[in-house]
Amino acid sequence: MLLSGGARPAPGPPLRWKGESVIEIHLYGKLRRFAPKQHPDDLSVVHVPVQEGDTIGRVLERLGVPLEEVGSNIFLNWQYSALSRRVRDGDRLAVFPDDMQLLYRWYFVKVKE
Amino acid sequence: MGKILRVNMTDRTATFEEVPEKYRLMGGRWLTSSITADEVPPTCHPLGPYNKVILAPGIVSGTNAPSSGRISVGGKSPLTGTIKESNAGTPFSQQLARLGIKAIVVEGYPQEKGKFWILHVTRDGAEFLPADAYVGQGLYAAYPALFQRFGKQVAIMGIGVAGEMRMAMAGVCFNDIDGRPSRYSGRGGMGAVLGSKGLKFIVVDETGGPGVPIADPERFREGTRKLSEALRTHAVTKKGGALNSYGTAVLINIMNEAGGLPTRNFSSGYFEGAPKVSGEAIAEGVKKRGGAGKTGHPCHPGCIIQCSNVWPNPDGSELVSVQEYESVWAFGPNCGIDDLDVTGELIRLCNDYGLDTIEAGGTIAVAMEGGLASFGDGKKAIELMHEIGRGTPLGRILGQGAAFTGRALGVVRVPGVKGQNMPAYEPRAVKGIGVTYATNPQGADHTIGYTIAPEILSVGGKADPLTPEGKAELSRNFQIATAFVDSSGYCLFIAFAILDIPEGFEGMVESCAALLGTNWTTEDATRIGKEILKTERAFDQAAGFTRQDDRMPEFMRYEPLPPHNQVWDVPDEALDSVWAF
Repeated sequence: MLLSGGARPAPGPPLRWKGESVIEIHLYGKLRRFAPKQHPDDLSVVHVPVQEGDTIGRVLERLGVPLEEVGSNIFLNWQYSALSRRVRDGDRLAVFPDDMQLLYRWYFVKVKE
Repeated sequence: MGKILRVNMTDRTATFEEVPEKYRLMGGRWLTSSITADEVPPTCHPLGPYNKVILAPGIVSGTNAPSSGRISVGGKSPLTGTIKESNAGTPFSQQLARLGIKAIVVEGYPQEKGKFWILHVTRDGAEFLPADAYVGQGLYAAYPALFQRFGKQVAIMGIGVAGEMRMAMAGVCFNDIDGRPSRYSGRGGMGAVLGSKGLKFIVVDETGGPGVPIADPERFREGTRKLSEALRTHAVTKKGGALNSYGTAVLINIMNEAGGLPTRNFSSGYFEGAPKVSGEAIAEGVKKRGGAGKTGHPCHPGCIIQCSNVWPNPDGSELVSVQEYESVWAFGPNCGIDDLDVTGELIRLCNDYGLDTIEAGGTIAVAMEGGLASFGDGKKAIELMHEIGRGTPLGRILGQGAAFTGRALGVVRVPGVKGQNMPAYEPRAVKGIGVTYATNPQGADHTIGYTIAPEILSVGGKADPLTPEGKAELSRNFQIATAFVDSSGYCLFIAFAILDIPEGFEGMVESCAALLGTNWTTEDATRIGKEILKTERAFDQAAGFTRQDDRMPEFMRYEPLPPHNQVWDVPDEALDSVWAF
């Protein structure tokens, strides 16, 4: 929990407590406000601890991100993903807001798991 | 009833002809491809006397239908040797349509070498004027001079020095809503074909024109209303939506996170500098620098999406319009460049010299691969572009495109199909678009099979982007539907809205049908799309193309692409099955 506010820029490994599971979240557009660095032409990254069974949606909620601001363009490890998809230690998550979705969902079926 | 304007460059005559019954319902790509198939010998030399250039506004262009100012430019491509259609959004299309001109057919061959002409088209007819004063000039100088000479109310098609030199990456330029030389039918080198015919500009003045006749105005209003409603409510196309706020370059970060943003000449799907050249960075830069900068800029009157922009210099003066996804990508991530002022300058040079930004960026990237510059070296990239503009021996090589340049430099990693460089979607990460690149009749192109929900066309098509399964059917249906949209006059971006909102799709077809006085339904759109593709395919086959040409470059089969570490693995049989209809 200590780590969510003190993120280091990607792609360096996050600081972590021994045995703790952490994922790296890249935020875009208006969702950048949940990262320490918020400049629109740079990376806005947070590292968030996760627990067994956590989904993308759960992790975002814990970070304080209102899910209604999240668009359909969510990528877990470069894969177009649903909020219901589970996350694991070391995952890389990217989230775009609802006013930034453009991806052709017909090319990318969501991985729901 | 509209007319066809036949322009003969052999004896410099321009004559209006009645529209034959078989072309009566056609517009845009449907018409350019049909006339090309009917009149151009498929085996002809693209720069020789028997090729033609056909310009045609779409079916509803020139009306108040939303976002409908597209014009198609077709003929045989000097870049690919295939049939070609490339379209642009511009007031030129609307003015031509309102003058009652369904198509301009440019044919013949000039007697005098190195001589160029202006065709001035008005309500009263068309006349030729010498273009000598503008030969060798950049289009940023020529367009204002032409507007001054012919009046602010005209619209202008032109070719730059690249077209004069008959370079295979020469585009056909049209003015935007403010008169800039910035809207291109870029792909396929049709500017070189106009150059070979000695036609430098077409200046069209709609003053006193008859307007576009609408057979059933009531139904037309209803159709366009449904479509407008869909565009105004959909998250992608509405005011303040992704396209309007950030422009098409909003896709830079998105494709990067999907691992499919081609980087450093298609050697990675992830570019670490992407955020610096993203739609967000453009919007921020425009806001911060102010001055001439603008987002939400329309390319033609009546567009309600307004995805274009004007990029300002640090002092607020105008550098270029438009920093859009493909162009920014081509000179940015694809060349390892992460500076919007550099991509902006390179795009400006394309507009000035008359070049296709996608082919030009792809060529610079291949040149970097071949050792002419380092990836990321913006200064050197600009120098190489000037070589093209000056027509130096090196510039003449580069001006022929990425495949030609790759051969000259011994480069194996040349990401093209049928001689045309790929645009900004990595096919190893997005296999569906790869099938479109490989199999469509015009060389690697993204817009040609980009759109329209398979769901709306009542076929499946959702599949994991990384598996080859189901991709042939997906691509086929996209290609069929796109062929119809390319003929309608509507911008392809209406697809975002009509994919999700069935009434929008109905409205689109209804508006075309009402204008023409037919009873088309959405099923007719599919039928027509198939007919267009078959016409184009038959031309290519007669030109000597076989299914062996519908293949991806070999390196993609053995070079895994990070971060997905995927190779191209769609089987050849699957590619061939795209044409089983």
